[in-house]
Amino acid sequence: MKNSRFLADYGMIFVLLLLCAFFSVVTNSDQSPTGEAAAKQVVSAIQSQFGKNPRVLIAVSDQQGDAAFAASTERELTAAGAQVVATVKGEPKDAREALVKTNATGGKLDAIACTQVTGAWLVFADLKTDFPALGEPRVITPRSYRWPNFLKSENLLNIANQIAIIAIIAIGMTMVIITGGIDLSVGSMIALSSVVAARFIRDHANGVGASVGGMLAGCLVAILLCGTVGAFSGTMITRFRVPPFIVTLSMMLVCSGAAYKLSNNTTISEIPDSFIWLGRGADFLGLPNAVVLMMALYLLAHVLMSRMKLGRYIYAVGGNAEAARLSGVAVEGVMMFAYIASGLLAGLGGVVMASLLKSGSGTFGNMYELKVIAAVVVGGTSLTGGQGKIFGTLIGAFIIAVIENGMNLTNIESQMQKIVLGLVILGAVLLDKIRHR
Amino acid sequence: MKKYILALVTSALAVLSGCDKPATSTTDPTSPQTKAKGTIGVSLLTLDNPFFKVIGDNITAEGKKRGYETIVVSGDKDVAKQGNQIKDFIVKKVSAIVLSPCDSKAIIPVIQEANAAGIPVFTVDIPCNEPGVKIVTQIATDNYGGGKEGAQAMIEALGEAGGKIAVLHFKQAESCQLRVKGFTEVINAHNAAGKGKIEIVTELESGGAKDMGYKAAEDALQAHSDLRGIFAINDPAALGARAALEKAGKTQVVIVGFDGQPEGKQAIKEGKIYADPIQFPDKMGVQIVDAIVRHSKGETLPPQMLIPTSLYKKADALKDPELK
Repeated sequence: MKNSRFLADYGMIFVLLLLCAFFSVVTNSDQSPTGEAAAKQVVSAIQSQFGKNPRVLIAVSDQQGDAAFAASTERELTAAGAQVVATVKGEPKDAREALVKTNATGGKLDAIACTQVTGAWLVFADLKTDFPALGEPRVITPRSYRWPNFLKSENLLNIANQIAIIAIIAIGMTMVIITGGIDLSVGSMIALSSVVAARFIRDHANGVGASVGGMLAGCLVAILLCGTVGAFSGTMITRFRVPPFIVTLSMMLVCSGAAYKLSNNTTISEIPDSFIWLGRGADFLGLPNAVVLMMALYLLAHVLMSRMKLGRYIYAVGGNAEAARLSGVAVEGVMMFAYIASGLLAGLGGVVMASLLKSGSGTFGNMYELKVIAAVVVGGTSLTGGQGKIFGTLIGAFIIAVIENGMNLTNIESQMQKIVLGLVILGAVLLDKIRHR
Repeated sequence: MKKYILALVTSALAVLSGCDKPATSTTDPTSPQTKAKGTIGVSLLTLDNPFFKVIGDNITAEGKKRGYETIVVSGDKDVAKQGNQIKDFIVKKVSAIVLSPCDSKAIIPVIQEANAAGIPVFTVDIPCNEPGVKIVTQIATDNYGGGKEGAQAMIEALGEAGGKIAVLHFKQAESCQLRVKGFTEVINAHNAAGKGKIEIVTELESGGAKDMGYKAAEDALQAHSDLRGIFAINDPAALGARAALEKAGKTQVVIVGFDGQPEGKQAIKEGKIYADPIQFPDKMGVQIVDAIVRHSKGETLPPQMLIPTSLYKKADALKDPELK
């Protein structure tokens, strides 16, 4: 019994797992070891192929991880008696320079120790014709192994980071939709919030030299402003009985227009580098800060919706507003709460976006309301209100993120991506309907 | 019930794996294509505009010729989405990233991430001239030169009499600013020479789109009933202006457009637009792949490569085999 209840509430998790499994299989591709492990492989390959005293060129890119590989390879090769002619760190043209130099001095070259990336440089493709004096050096790269691109921890964190903004806003949207309403203004609020935060920092907090306090103040102003917009929408809906669709559609236009106006149609980017902490930093167990924030908010919202009176009231209002009113629920207050929460969270989403892109612009968040609503609905919340689960929304958001990411990893071009995403959203909801019948 | 669900899911996955065919077959180590030099990740401003579609298609075609796989995606003018696409390219360890930034400032941190991952970045059509990013080379149309060509066409069309002209601008785009700059400079130089004075009486915002171009041209005609010419910064704006002229019955007003999209070329053939400095998105696509190969071969590339426009008039349109 308990199991079937869980299935009914979070059945979408199987769709998510299935998608993950699917993309793991199709993105399975060659990966190359890095650092010391890679160096060991390359060194032993060179020793076994060229014997005692080979002349070797080491070529790596100027990426951080490659430095360890280069240092370790050089050390071990020298220890084994090989002669490292040069170590190139940088771009193909640096490698060419080194080759030209070696070529000019007439020294032969036996091997070129490369990473997977530098081994593919075309500068090493026609050595025999380009640099005849070098002899016939062979490019040695670490042996690759198979592992899905999708399952790389780097990619999984990427997915979580990519969906964080939408998932955060979807919390508020879930509440609004459970009360039987809708909030179309959240996408524009992302733009408004990013612009207000960026502009506040630029104009009132000393721009690029802003202090942490100044940045926080800017973010707070932006979030509170969006909360106020939410409160305004809530008032219109509860006091004046204007349908939520119309109110929030109007606010969508107002916010978008205001964002363009406040930003003067440009991108405001005069913000300190440290501002990207929220959107790009990863301080807690290697998890991106935006993801930590998202998880904390979901836990909070879950407790609110399932353990607290206010949460029960939100469901009650959406299930049957009249019945809720008769049983003493302050229906208007509950609805106000939902719209204010949606506004505040959209404002927060805008701040995360501003941090992620280190700028504010009226173009940000365009059409995000639809993505947010899709996440909520795919997560099993009913558009007619009264039903839905907070963690269901998180799963819905991840389903969308996984599909988008997976398609980017599997070379599916943009038009096809739209078609697939549309069909998968429809399919997911259909699946839910069939299951509940 | 369960059967339904199973059927649904499996069919959905079948669709997905169907679209995935080209990718899986090339990553298969047993296939003869293991010689692929790597993947080029391309994120363009949009694919709704045929101009970018042509760039993308040519990168794919040329890439294939040179042994590269390509993935072309559309940023849909959403810089956050474009950022995600670039991040996915980085995870995929593509050998080069080509992009036309949706927002040249907001894209900075993303380009920096690609720089840190050691992946060379190239821009096409829209440059990113911000400090702190490393871009191998930027390929774009010589918009400034194109604007000059547009002015020459206008001077030629108005002849001895000269007259009043309007400019339909799209100020947000740096490329359009360059076009108008080149245009204005040549017109001013012409006026300084003395004969057939051409006066730019108004500069209106056209949004680079038909509807706004239509409105802007209508307003210009209201304000200046003796208008003799219109320079529009792209084909959609020019075609919108043409619609306004037709409605007002003033089809004698000369329009010079920009771009050379099929619809614009057709209008030139029909005499609706006098001339276009045309761009070569196909050349851009080919040249970007060439730049990627040259960079990988260790050549030093100039920071910017401009592709000149060429003036396209009715005589060219009549000879153009691509037009009906």
